[in-house]
Amino acid sequence: MSAEALTRPVAGARLGIRLWTREVVTLAVLLLATLVFSLPTIWLVLTSFKPETEYASYPIRVLPSALHSENYVLAVTIFPYLKFFMNSVILAGSFTILTVITSAAAGFGFSRHAGVPGRHALFALVLATMMVPGLVTLVPQFMLFSYLGLTNSYWPWILWGLSASPFHIFLFRQFFASIPKDLEDAAEVDGCGKLRIFWQIFMPNSLPAVAASAIFCFTWVWGDWLYPKLFLSDQITTLSVRLATSYVDPIGNPLYTVTMAAVVLYVLPMVIVFFLAQKYIIQGVVTTGLKG
Amino acid sequence: MAVAESAVPVVRRFRGRAWHETVSFYLFVSPWLIGFVALSVFPLILGFATSFTNYDGFNIDNLKFRGLGNYARVLEDDDVLYSMGRTLVFTALNVPLGIILALGLAMLLNQAIPARGVFRTLFYLPHVIPIVAIVWVWRIFVDQNYGLLNAVISLVRPDTGIRWLVDYATYVVVALTLWEGVGGGMVIFLAGLQGVPNELREAATIDGANGWQVFRNITLPLLTPVIFFQLIMSIIGSLQILVAPILLAGASMGSVPPRANYLYLVHVYVQVFANQRFGYGTALLWLLFAVVVVLSALIFKSSRYWVYYEVDQGGR
Repeated sequence: MSAEALTRPVAGARLGIRLWTREVVTLAVLLLATLVFSLPTIWLVLTSFKPETEYASYPIRVLPSALHSENYVLAVTIFPYLKFFMNSVILAGSFTILTVITSAAAGFGFSRHAGVPGRHALFALVLATMMVPGLVTLVPQFMLFSYLGLTNSYWPWILWGLSASPFHIFLFRQFFASIPKDLEDAAEVDGCGKLRIFWQIFMPNSLPAVAASAIFCFTWVWGDWLYPKLFLSDQITTLSVRLATSYVDPIGNPLYTVTMAAVVLYVLPMVIVFFLAQKYIIQGVVTTGLKG
Repeated sequence: MAVAESAVPVVRRFRGRAWHETVSFYLFVSPWLIGFVALSVFPLILGFATSFTNYDGFNIDNLKFRGLGNYARVLEDDDVLYSMGRTLVFTALNVPLGIILALGLAMLLNQAIPARGVFRTLFYLPHVIPIVAIVWVWRIFVDQNYGLLNAVISLVRPDTGIRWLVDYATYVVVALTLWEGVGGGMVIFLAGLQGVPNELREAATIDGANGWQVFRNITLPLLTPVIFFQLIMSIIGSLQILVAPILLAGASMGSVPPRANYLYLVHVYVQVFANQRFGYGTALLWLLFAVVVVLSALIFKSSRYWVYYEVDQGGR
């Protein structure tokens, strides 16, 4: 017994040291990985504060000589930044509102109507359309919309918004499945119709899903380059399309540092939204990404 | 008599309820259903029909039926095989690396370490950055003369001037895609790790299993359903990579990426939107769709040999 009492704390201490070393090693690995991982972002921010001459100096300067904020002023003045920023906001905003409502409605339909004929087959269809390569539908949609004269307008986004999105239907269905049936039954006994149950009980109780869905919708349009590039003219297109080409000197060479300032301004709203709604975003990613 | 009388309304009311449910269901899904038919099914049929014609965007009055001509042309088009080969190279790099890195990060960040939340946030952050911004970030990061990457390498090998976007273009797209995507995979694996019971790992440790054995025999098998889902989505996504190579090449409509980044969808994009070959382009898209379906089916089939389900397969 005495032998045991003697060895125990020693073993415990040894285990403690081992755990401690392990933690330190893990932390060191993580710090190194984070540094390497963050280098591109650090370089973006540093570049945005350099004058063009410092960017193009050899050997390269890592830090700007001073925090030159003039790139940020140039970024919003030498090109109608605000106009295209607003184009993005309007397009992304209207698409988001419509998609969230129609997708939530469809998600409610799929999760709350047990035993309706055709329900499972239609839901399988929703899942199947998530597998179809985007361009397979985009190219014929492009032909259709140009034939109808709807290109160079925001109509395609309105129509896409009105017709819900499989991914978001899936997200809402998964979330609604976790809302207790009792809540719905109680409302029904009180004489609530399905529409009121959906709008006044399910939607207000699904803030995380609504937030996640809205953020995914908004960031998709905000960040999309392909669709506005194909459907919209350079005058009414979104910031992302113009950002790819707009900052050039009179000869046509890219103004790298001004572009980087514009990129920072373009990314910043998304990063802020992410920090504010991190919890909901992660929950949304997990809900849709974990169960096939 | 009285019984029969009262039974009829009851039955009718029940029928009424089922009918109401059905109507309500179809009303709720109608926006999606109508949109699906009008904006997906109809265009898909249109697209499928187009793939048998010589449609170029303008010759609607003068359309010619070419039968399987567009599909036959695939065999003569060397770029199809070439671009598919490049796409498979990209996929073969991107998919395993993405899954391994995401899983590795999730394993590291699933432990009790200080500032865990900050690390998770930092690795997830590129996931919210739009593609145009990501491409700009990487363009200046890997720039031959003024990029930080060559500067860092120059610390150990002075005067490094690797032309990343010319000689290693595919690797840049892989790096960029991993950089953007690894956080999303990490989050999903972290959630998956929540489903691995701690008692199992502890029990194995007490029985003398080392860290690797615990991972290999307990954590990994329990994660296979998550890996399976990630694998499918990642392969489908990798086969469809398009915007990053185009933007890396210079962003304007006509800018064609260097040969190394001439991926399958880039070829389709060039055919459809630069050369106006809608018929041929849609044929190429249907072939890609077929490849996606076959690959997914193969992985689904293989899943019974390596994906571990807690509930037995039939009992779902």
